[in-house]
Amino acid sequence: MPELIPFRWPASWSDPSKLDLLQGTPVNCLVGEAPPPFPLGNLQFVKLDNDRPPEGIALREGVWPRVLPATRKDTAGGGATGSAWVDNNAWVVRLARATEPGKMVWLTYTPPGGNEVVPLDAFVRPIAEAEAFGGRWVVALDKFFTEQLDRRDQKALAQWKRMTAAMRFFETRREWRDWEPLAPLAVVSTFAGDDKLLSQEFLNLAPRRHLAYRALTVQDVAEASFEKQKAVLYLETTPPQPEVRAKLLEFAQEGGLLIVPQGTVDAPPEERKAEHTLRRVGKGRVAMPLQKWEDPFTLVDQVHVLVSHREDPVQVWNDSDMDTFYVANPAQDHAVVHLIPYASGPSLPITLGLRKAYRRARLLTLSSEMAVRPARGPLGFEIPVREFTDYAVVELEA
Amino acid sequence: MRQRPSSWTRREWLAAAAAAGLASRGRAAAPSSTVAVARCTSYDHGVPEALKTLFDQIGGIGKLVSGKTVAIKINMTGSLRARTGYRSAWFTRWTHPEVIGAAVRLIGEAGATRIRVLEGSSEDDHPLEEDFLIGGWDPNTILNAAKNVEMENTGSLGLGKEYKRLDVPGGGLIYPAFDCNHSYAECDVMVSIAKLKEHDKAGLSLSLKNMVGAPPGTIYGDSAGYDEPAARPYGARTMFHIGNRQPPEGTPKEKDEKSPRDFGYRVPRITVDIVRARPVHLAIIDGIETQTAGADAALEPDSRRKLVLVKPGVLAASLNPVCADAVAAALMGFSPTAARGAAPFENCDNTLALAEQAGIGAADLDRIEVAGTPIAKLRLPFREQR
Repeated sequence: MPELIPFRWPASWSDPSKLDLLQGTPVNCLVGEAPPPFPLGNLQFVKLDNDRPPEGIALREGVWPRVLPATRKDTAGGGATGSAWVDNNAWVVRLARATEPGKMVWLTYTPPGGNEVVPLDAFVRPIAEAEAFGGRWVVALDKFFTEQLDRRDQKALAQWKRMTAAMRFFETRREWRDWEPLAPLAVVSTFAGDDKLLSQEFLNLAPRRHLAYRALTVQDVAEASFEKQKAVLYLETTPPQPEVRAKLLEFAQEGGLLIVPQGTVDAPPEERKAEHTLRRVGKGRVAMPLQKWEDPFTLVDQVHVLVSHREDPVQVWNDSDMDTFYVANPAQDHAVVHLIPYASGPSLPITLGLRKAYRRARLLTLSSEMAVRPARGPLGFEIPVREFTDYAVVELEA
Repeated sequence: MRQRPSSWTRREWLAAAAAAGLASRGRAAAPSSTVAVARCTSYDHGVPEALKTLFDQIGGIGKLVSGKTVAIKINMTGSLRARTGYRSAWFTRWTHPEVIGAAVRLIGEAGATRIRVLEGSSEDDHPLEEDFLIGGWDPNTILNAAKNVEMENTGSLGLGKEYKRLDVPGGGLIYPAFDCNHSYAECDVMVSIAKLKEHDKAGLSLSLKNMVGAPPGTIYGDSAGYDEPAARPYGARTMFHIGNRQPPEGTPKEKDEKSPRDFGYRVPRITVDIVRARPVHLAIIDGIETQTAGADAALEPDSRRKLVLVKPGVLAASLNPVCADAVAAALMGFSPTAARGAAPFENCDNTLALAEQAGIGAADLDRIEVAGTPIAKLRLPFREQR
């Protein structure tokens, strides 16, 4: 069965001629409450039901991705540091892929609605964001966009074309979806129960601090390999069960940094850093918090210092409100760095810093492609990335 | 006497007049010290040699640093992840690590027993080593440049157990004292290594203005608590700029809360207060590569400043920070004694003149001996760069 590429059919569209919009596009599946009242040809129809998701698909709601705007004249969305709050779905997709491996993740959110008019050019970002992290947005138009298409408005048609071009871009690069993140840190948690908020918000906020991670569930620890990680964070507020504890301590004994809740090990502390005590275990170290973990944003910052920015596989400068996602193929000779800006308008000229050397690099946007030259920098290699909107990716070849 | 701006209140007018009176008393008393200037066109080669020559030309630093704990305030102002276009901040607005490393090495060779490299972040309480890494440089190049080198982020309590109070002798122009990270109190010698650049609120950002980053953001920054210092710094030192509030309870407040709130009045005076509370014994100015002004320059209405990446190719050093800044101003094409309203002090009082009036050092080029390459041979007028 081909992969389903879904489009939420507007309820107001009862005219089959609207299907013309889908001709020649990657869309092969309509979703909604009920099928439209006309033959769909080769298109499938899927009813979205969270209790009975389509086979092979994990449904998640998600949020309209953006820098959160001020909602009243005297307020503004702000993050824990005073910088802008970013609504994003990166962690939602990545966590779903960790908890339901092998399934395609569909994000089912719709545009904000209400009194808010979403600019027509803001509909590409949800597609690119979901695809970059290995998921798929169930493409949905709002009332304004739908009405503009009804009128055959040229701007709306052009934006629709950009959206379908974005879908096609990722369809021709499906292999990226299965590449592994290059991350010094593994975050292990149940991501449920009493620690759900702390652990999920950690994943949500880590990109704001540019902390690259790999997420996996506690039940996957026994089979997991941490050989590509420098540190493992066991993100529960109570110590791990004996089997998991033994596996994690083995990682520390072999030279890794294990960050665990209070009470996990008894060895006396030798050092204090970033509100944690550190003790040597075998060739590695174990860090435990001075006080119980509570604030996920602070914890992200502390963990990043414990692991050290020296271990960041990729750095980005001038990356205000931008997520990066660095993944590589199993042989690690091909990699890509996805760049997803959440602010509207073009990005600044940014610089990527990579620890690893690559022979070739290409900068791709949804409508352009150019070779870029990695230059040696103080901490590795630096790649200039010119201004772009919506999405860009740097393709790397070792 | 400079012209009175039409918008000034009577209080501002009287304060300015008092400062002008101080000028006539202070100018003759302010000490002068040789400023050594050298051409150095690249960070890749010649920096240690050029700096060593400068130190020799100012009389050597052995007597100053031998057997001492030396604190070095560097400049890493603004966001750690911001660049000017593609150009790294080390080349545009921060002191370059090659200059810091060379200074550390020479200070170590001159017999310092301990060297602390200091900067107060305005966005985190990370170890300073981590901020170097975020900025894209390996801190080990500096930590390994001499024996017993440490780094500390002084934007917060850092490794100290309590903040240390530094009193301004005689009471200060704005603040009578500052509560600072322990490193500024627990040192025998203070070195300020600045970048050669203009500043929208202080006219110039050189070795004097560099010290404004010494008082911690947890007390004087936008994140400061009202009852006590914040745990972590975040944001600008708006309190210094416009006096919108006082520091947390228990920290010395301004002498006169009704003094002008104009940044052009406050920032130069607070700079002088800080340098009087924490005197600078050695000033080094990195003008090898820089940017002419801060990123905000273009935002100023009718700004005559422009942000241009330039390569003045110059290093300067002096045992007196006012003298060093005066010569640096001349290297940038400005008169160090210009009055408010004239470049580069269009928006503010002249920090150098106030520092001279406070007896810190001479700002008048006629009173400063310049060693090494003559100013005229290295002058790069900042306002003429495109």
